[in-house]
Amino acid sequence: MLVDDGNLIERLRMGDDVAFAELVEHHAAPLLAVTRRILRDEEDARDAVQEAFVAAFRGIGEFQSESRVSTWLHRIAVNCALMKLRGLERRREQDVDALLPPFQPDGHQRHSSVAWLETAEDILHREQSCALVRQCIDQLPESYRIVLVLRDIEQLPPDVVAEKLQITRDNLKVKLHRARQALRTLLDPHMRGAS
Amino acid sequence: MSHVTCIELIAFLDAYVDNELDAETRGTFDLHLLVCPSCRAYLASYRETIELVRGVAEQEEELAHDAPRELIEAVLTSKSSRPKS
Repeated sequence: MLVDDGNLIERLRMGDDVAFAELVEHHAAPLLAVTRRILRDEEDARDAVQEAFVAAFRGIGEFQSESRVSTWLHRIAVNCALMKLRGLERRREQDVDALLPPFQPDGHQRHSSVAWLETAEDILHREQSCALVRQCIDQLPESYRIVLVLRDIEQLPPDVVAEKLQITRDNLKVKLHRARQALRTLLDPHMRGAS
Repeated sequence: MSHVTCIELIAFLDAYVDNELDAETRGTFDLHLLVCPSCRAYLASYRETIELVRGVAEQEEELAHDAPRELIEAVLTSKSSRPKS
């Protein structure tokens, strides 16, 4: 485990190959988890990690000493994955409206919502249920899925996500709320025990 | 805002969950939730959805102990094959 980011950065700046190997060994796995979530394709995810480390090594002079190495690498990996995502052929964007709750003309819910049988904590204890949640996230229309991944999973600040996705902060807020609602709709039949 | 309907409450549910509403608006939301079991269920499942997304990601992080060896080798090779600046 790396206990001294400052020392590591100094060695990287001096071109120390051992320091670079330490950096890669320690951070490759969490960065791969990040790029997998964004890209959903193993080969693309590995390519993005490789590009991230090359970019990090190239940009080592720009590292701010008050930052954590893990946070700095995380941002670089997100950037590399998003660039790759933009370069991939876009799937036809599906409308999210069908996954939002319908309402009656008087503003009441058209179908009454039913309480879920289990809490998130209970559900997360079962591997099969985690896979189901992951599948439901992957079913979201791409522009909503990526907002959910960057805000609720990677927990990047709103300004950063809006800038990366080239949308306004207000648009980001609307998209995140719709993404959560759409995911809730996809999870609902499983969580209320109807399936 | 003297009272809200389900559609208004759900439209601003993210702001309610994130404590971004002013006290008066929050109060009207709370009143609606008191009398509307459907919105109470919706709010609870909306919160669980956020928890599930974060929880699944945390589990994936915990399982990601080791990167594939070939990836690490590829990164190290790509770095060493670059001309030194």
